[in-house]
Amino acid sequence: MSDLTRLLQLLQFSDSALPVGAFTFSNGLESAIQKGAVHDAASLREFVFTAVRQAATLDGIALLTAHRAAQAADVRSIVATDHAAYQRRLNEEMRTMTVRMGKKLGELGEHLVGTGLLADWNAMIRSGATPGTFPIGFALVTSGFGIDARQAFAAHQYGVASMILGAALRLMRITFLETQAILLEVNAAIEEIYEEIHTDTLDDMRSFAPVADILAAVHLKAHLRMFMN
Amino acid sequence: MLQIHAPGLEQVQEKREAAFPEKAGTAFPADLCQNKELSRYSDEPRQLRSGGLGKNASLQLGFERRGDRTALIKLDRRAPLLVQQALYWDEEMPGLPCVSIISNAGGILQGDRYAIGIDLAEGAEAHVTTQAATKIHEMDANFATQTQDITLAAGAYLEYLPLPVIPHKNCRFVSHTRIRIDPTATLLYSEILMPGRKHYANGELFAYDLLSVAVQAERPDGKALFAEKFVIEPRSADIRNIAVMAGFDVFANVLLLTPKAHTDRLFEQIDPVFDPKQGWAAGISRLPGDAGLIFKVLGMETQLVRAKVREFWSRVRREVKGVPIPEEFLWE
Repeated sequence: MSDLTRLLQLLQFSDSALPVGAFTFSNGLESAIQKGAVHDAASLREFVFTAVRQAATLDGIALLTAHRAAQAADVRSIVATDHAAYQRRLNEEMRTMTVRMGKKLGELGEHLVGTGLLADWNAMIRSGATPGTFPIGFALVTSGFGIDARQAFAAHQYGVASMILGAALRLMRITFLETQAILLEVNAAIEEIYEEIHTDTLDDMRSFAPVADILAAVHLKAHLRMFMN
Repeated sequence: MLQIHAPGLEQVQEKREAAFPEKAGTAFPADLCQNKELSRYSDEPRQLRSGGLGKNASLQLGFERRGDRTALIKLDRRAPLLVQQALYWDEEMPGLPCVSIISNAGGILQGDRYAIGIDLAEGAEAHVTTQAATKIHEMDANFATQTQDITLAAGAYLEYLPLPVIPHKNCRFVSHTRIRIDPTATLLYSEILMPGRKHYANGELFAYDLLSVAVQAERPDGKALFAEKFVIEPRSADIRNIAVMAGFDVFANVLLLTPKAHTDRLFEQIDPVFDPKQGWAAGISRLPGDAGLIFKVLGMETQLVRAKVREFWSRVRREVKGVPIPEEFLWE
C-alpha cells in the first residue's frame, strides 16, 4: 500500500465525519459552558488541553497497548486492555460514550477490514465478554490497516480535540477561526505527549482533573442537554 | 515489633486466614518504589536509610463479630504507626469499634515506607480514622510511600475516614490502596487532599513535587471492579487549569462501595453542585461494575470540604445502617 493511501486512511479514521457518533458527545464541555467554567476562547483552550492530556494518559496508553497486542494477535491482552480502559472511566457518561463509539467503530472496522480480530472483538462485545471501548476499537482498526501505533495515537488525540471543538461551535459564542487556532496548538504538542507516555503500561494509566470530573457529574443530572455527555 | 495479642488469638488468626485465602493475582503490597513517577527521586536520604527501622511502619488491623459487638481481634503494629485500642464511643452504633491511627513520628518523612492492612470478617463493623491530619514533610531526597490493603467479607461495614493529608513543600508521596470487597459488604473511604500549608508563611499552595494516589478495587474472587490513579506534579502541570483545580484548593475523593440498592437510592438523593462563588463544587457518579458510587468535592477551605464529606457519610450511614452519625466532637 502506498504512503499516500495510508495517509488518507489515517485522515479518514480521524475525520469527525466517521460514523461513530462523535458529534453526539461533548466530552463534558456542555456542562462546563452551562456552569460558566468555559466562557471564551481562552477557557475553552484550557478545557481542551486538559481533555487531550487525560485522553493521552488514560485511553492513549490503552490504545498503544492494544495496538501492540493486535500486532501480536494477542486476544487475551486486547480484552484485558479493554477492561482496563473501561474500569478507569469513573464517570458513567464517559463510559457510555466510549462503549457506544467503540461498538460503532468495531462494526465499521469489521465491514471495512474484515480481519478476524475485529470480528472476534465484535462477537465478544455482543456476548458481554469485553466492554468494547473506543481506544481499543481504534487500535484494532488502525492496526488492521497497517497504520503504526504512533500515528494511530496522534489521530486519536486529534479526534478528541476536534470532537470538543465541534461541540463548542454549537454550544458557545466562538468562531471557527478561534477553534482552528486551538486545534493547531493541540497538534503542535502531540510529539511531547507521545514521548511522555509511549512506554507506559496499563498500571500507569492516570489522570487528575477534578473540576472536569465534577462537571461530568453535573451533566449526568442536568435537565437540559443537547449532548450525551 | 510491638505486638498485642488477645487470648486465643492464634486460633482466630487461623480461621481468618482460611476465610481470606491469598489470591494468585497481583502481589501486594505492590513495590511502589518501582513506579515510573518516582524514577528521578531515587537518591538516599542523609538521615536514616529509606525503608529502615523506624521508617517502615506497619499496622495490621483485623475485626471480627462477637455477638452484638465487633472486636478488634488482630493488632500488629510497628512504629511509627500505632493503634492503642478500639473504643466504643459511638452512641448510635454501640457495637462499633472506633479506632484511631496514631503516628509517633509527627508525620511522613523522606524514605518512609508505610503499610496498613484492615481486614473485616463476615458481618463485622468498624470505624477507622486518624488522630490528626497526615503531614507529609518537606523533602530534599528520596520519597515516601504508603500501601493500604482493605478486605471486607460478606456483610461487613467499614467507615475509613482519615483526616486530611497535608503535603508540604517539595514532598513526594505515593500511595496505593487495594480493596477486596464482597458484593454484600459496604466500604466508605475518603481521602482529603490539602494544597499544602495554606496559611503558613505567605501561603504554601501546591508547592509539593509529587502526589501519586492510586486505588484499585476487586471482588474476593479477583474480579476487577475499577481503578483510579492521580498523578499530581504541580511544578510541571498546570494545576490551576480550569478543568483541573481551577481556583479551588482542597479536594476530597470519597468512595462508597455498597450493594446496588443502596447505590441507587443514594444516587437519587445527591444533586451535583458547581458554585465557585460559594467556594465549592461536588458531584457523584456510579462506579463501573455496579461497585457503588464516587463522590468528589472541591472547596476553598478544609472545613467546608470536610462538612460535605460528613454530610455524605451521614446519608450513607442512614441508608446502609438506618442510624445517624454521631455528633461532631467539640474540638473538631
